Amino acid sequence: MPDASKPAASKTAASRTAASKLEADAGSPVARLSDARLAYPSAEGEVEVLRGVDLEIAAGEILAVTGPSGSGKSSLIALIGGLERPTGGRVEVLGQDMGAADETTRTRLRRRDIGVVFQAYHLVPAMTALQNVALPLILAGVADARDQAAAMLERVGLGHRLSHRPTALSGGEQQRTAIARAFIAEPRLVLADEPTGNLDQETGAAISETMFDLCRSTGAAMLLVTHDPDLAGRCDRRLAIDAGRIKS
Amino acid sequence: MRAFRDRDLDWTTLSALLRAETAAGILGLRLFIACTAVAALMLGAVWMIGGGLSSALERNGYAILGGDAAITVVNQPLPDDLVGALRALPEVETISRVVELRSTARAGDARAPIELKAVDPAYPLYGAVGLADAASLSEALAMREGVAGAAVEPTLLSRLPVALGDRLRVGETTVEIRALLTAEPDRLSSGGFLVGPRVLIARQTLSGTELLAPGALADFRYRLRFADGAARAEALAAVRALTPSGGWELETPADAGDRVRRTVERTTTFLGLAGMAALAIGLAGAWAAATVWIGRRARTIALYRLSGATPALVIALHAAIIALAGALGLALGLGAAGATSLLLLDLVASRLHLPWAPADLIGPAALTAATLALGLIGAAIAALSAAARTPPGAAMRSGEAGLTPDPRHALIGLAGVGAALASAVVSLPYPGLAAGAAIGLVLAAGLLAAAGYALARLIAGRQPAGFISLLTVQGLSQPGAAAMKALAIGVGIAGVTAVLAAQSSLDRSLRAEIPEKAPDLVLIDVQPDQVAPLTERVERDPALAGLQADPFMRMTLLRVNDVPVEDALVRADKRWVIEGDRSFSWSEGPTEAELLAGAWWEAGYDGPPVVAPEEDVAQAFDLKPGDRVTYSVLGRPFTSEVVAIRKEYHRTFRPEYLMLASAEPFRDAPHSWIITLQGESDAAVDAFIEAASEIAPNVTAVDVRRIAAQVRQVIDGAALGSLAIAGVLLLAGALTLAAVTAADVDARRREALAFTLVGAARREIALARLSESLALGAIAAVIGGAAGLLGGWWVTQAALNIAWTPGLAAWAIPPILGLVAAISAGAAGGLSALPRGRGQVARHLAG
Repeated sequence: MPDASKPAASKTAASRTAASKLEADAGSPVARLSDARLAYPSAEGEVEVLRGVDLEIAAGEILAVTGPSGSGKSSLIALIGGLERPTGGRVEVLGQDMGAADETTRTRLRRRDIGVVFQAYHLVPAMTALQNVALPLILAGVADARDQAAAMLERVGLGHRLSHRPTALSGGEQQRTAIARAFIAEPRLVLADEPTGNLDQETGAAISETMFDLCRSTGAAMLLVTHDPDLAGRCDRRLAIDAGRIKS
Repeated sequence: MRAFRDRDLDWTTLSALLRAETAAGILGLRLFIACTAVAALMLGAVWMIGGGLSSALERNGYAILGGDAAITVVNQPLPDDLVGALRALPEVETISRVVELRSTARAGDARAPIELKAVDPAYPLYGAVGLADAASLSEALAMREGVAGAAVEPTLLSRLPVALGDRLRVGETTVEIRALLTAEPDRLSSGGFLVGPRVLIARQTLSGTELLAPGALADFRYRLRFADGAARAEALAAVRALTPSGGWELETPADAGDRVRRTVERTTTFLGLAGMAALAIGLAGAWAAATVWIGRRARTIALYRLSGATPALVIALHAAIIALAGALGLALGLGAAGATSLLLLDLVASRLHLPWAPADLIGPAALTAATLALGLIGAAIAALSAAARTPPGAAMRSGEAGLTPDPRHALIGLAGVGAALASAVVSLPYPGLAAGAAIGLVLAAGLLAAAGYALARLIAGRQPAGFISLLTVQGLSQPGAAAMKALAIGVGIAGVTAVLAAQSSLDRSLRAEIPEKAPDLVLIDVQPDQVAPLTERVERDPALAGLQADPFMRMTLLRVNDVPVEDALVRADKRWVIEGDRSFSWSEGPTEAELLAGAWWEAGYDGPPVVAPEEDVAQAFDLKPGDRVTYSVLGRPFTSEVVAIRKEYHRTFRPEYLMLASAEPFRDAPHSWIITLQGESDAAVDAFIEAASEIAPNVTAVDVRRIAAQVRQVIDGAALGSLAIAGVLLLAGALTLAAVTAADVDARRREALAFTLVGAARREIALARLSESLALGAIAAVIGGAAGLLGGWWVTQAALNIAWTPGLAAWAIPPILGLVAAISAGAAGGLSALPRGRGQVARHLAG
């Protein structure tokens, strides 16, 4: 069970990284999808957005998923992130069957092992950048959550924006904050949905560079959904999704 | 070439946009509509019922009085020469003479107390008697085959085994029931307390009853109709010039039904206080709802601006939509208020025999609409101010577009709400009382808002370590929002608590005293020679107790320390002691009554009469032992020294005498006695009633058990009414809370989604929101509850003049409501903030 290997709340992120890597080195993939299906109810009946996806993400691997709008990319992230339950097939994340896991288990997994970055940032408007980034550690009961968050913000180039609220940050700064939040707990898997979609080319490039750096330094695997072929080209592996199916 | 309209406000465009917006519906303003409707319902119902009754009393003044002027004397009629002098006045065209007294009607062995009224052919001078089964009053009361006719109230037929056409014994005569009395135009001039159904007979029939024994408790009324063209003031002056030395009660239509009018005014004011609370809560809710609606339309407004709409057009469009919603809310509220008022007015007016007109409700309805409109305009100005400040660029930003009203416009909004409250204050019959309540409301609201604001300022900037405490602090640290929420929850709690506390006090003060102190039976019109056999019968029966036998007379206060009572009066609320004749008794020596000042005369005192008035009289004139009062008994004036002031026992049904004098010279004057007693069982009392009818057939037995049961029904009805009022206030408070909470719902949803992404459990988010709203709920419960209890106490002291017994409910309701409101608000921001259902999270993430 993944929780058995999880650090105590008082442990530092570095010690947790070491423990994660030990497990990752054991060779099991961080995520494995077998004939995974996801359907949403609608007035017209069930709409199947994922139609039997087979996929594996190895530990430390950076995987790009490309595809047109409405192809099921965001749904794939919701499924792996435990935000939605599969309606068919099997989704296993860090050894946990996400279809069978209860909400507490999925929440704990997200809190400790999965970081999420979205195109729309999804920051808490009423909290400062520092508070937003510290949230995962605060939830995990880490005592020096704010110090670690400050260091992480420094690392992504926002050391001078700690006390600013999201409305006072530019789009690029908001996304950097979201990335810092996703990586603060040194997760084993990061799910990124069009993280540069709202940004200009230069900012986008800087943001993706930061993400790649963080992945490499923490050993986290990343599933990166993007329209950008250049960005996809920089990943370890590249898959295309269309009409709810993996094409290559 | 295209023609552009460059004016700031183009009516054609406005009309087209308004049509498009209203076609899409105004459901977004449903909370605004509901808050407006609830305030209109409460305020409208109070004003319509109060206004309807007041107008009816005013319009029917002549009919209620029975003439242009009315003279009343008790115990014995006016001397013939005085009546002749009145008749000889050129200003007086007609005199109608009426006698009213309490008696007993008998049918076989069955007996029932009745209110007997003997009328002459001129009756009624104004208004019309309503009769069923008879062509006219004169025909119904006429002598036919040696038997006189009577018109009786339908309730008599349920109290005695008789039907139309049957005969009744009244005193020493027999009358035949020829008609049912359905409307009596001058009913209100008989006072409010009737021991039984009305029985109307002709004056010549009364002499045959032999009920007018010396000292009998009869009211002799002389109604005058002035000649056409006679100047009313001069005619009254001419009548007043004939005032006998013993005095009489001379009334004009302006005085008619004034006791009922005072009751209506007091009730309207009391209910009006609850109406004002509903107005304040409803307007706060409407304000919040309009602000939320505008906030949610921020992107739409920005898009309008981006498309070229001028700020004036945007404002006009949204003002028109709010006006439509306000009109709908008013129509719904006033419609419900109108229906409620029609039902209740019909019920009350029919019991008072008071003709009323539905048209009387139009004025109060218009006043309600105007008052609410003032407040709604204020709320709309504050909300629209934010719309005016929305820049076109807001459409291009992601997330919510923040809206901030101009502080000056918020002040104008507050002024509008203040004007609405002021309008309510000046429209109520007792503006001083209403102003006190309004000031209390404003103070409570200010205190609540200040407490919410202070809490936010106190915790802002704190950085707790835990997630739940961090979220709690973050949620509470916005001073404006915290103030508004504390206000929304607290004002509702204050209103409901005040109503419950006042109702509980009223209920207890009435209910607790009745069973302990009330006698079961009161015998009136007992002749002096009948007292001994009746009291002996009581003393022989071990199942009867609590015997009290007192002489019973009537007196009219004339002067205090030689100053006419009108001028000597120092307490306006005690004016009733000089209105008409009042109860009077004499005693050989000290009684069991408690003295507040002075000392009793000694037993057997035979000197000039000295008196011990009740505390009401003392308060009316600031009387002290040693003062002198002049009063008229049996038409003869007496001046006596006040030697003692007696304590008054309210609402006991036991005879209470406003004035108690030493025995001489009243002992030998013609008068009757009153006997009261209690029984261990209903059977013992019933047996005594039978025995008393044998010993003293002329005596009227008033069964207090039946009256007490009726009073209990009235108390129960009042309690239900108060609960209904509290329910409306609760509804208004809940709607306001919903409106205030709605302001946060969108932001809380976005936050909940973000917390979920970083691994917060639904339970943790819910707990954090709950602890946030519990903090505000606690503030609202403490301050709102304290304000409510204080308000309830003030109402009992200033308006009801009763003991303060708020009851457990009034103490328990603030924490309960605070908790319920906190859980509701917490659930809205916590548990229900996170999207549920398959696909919902992913859908929101994509958005």
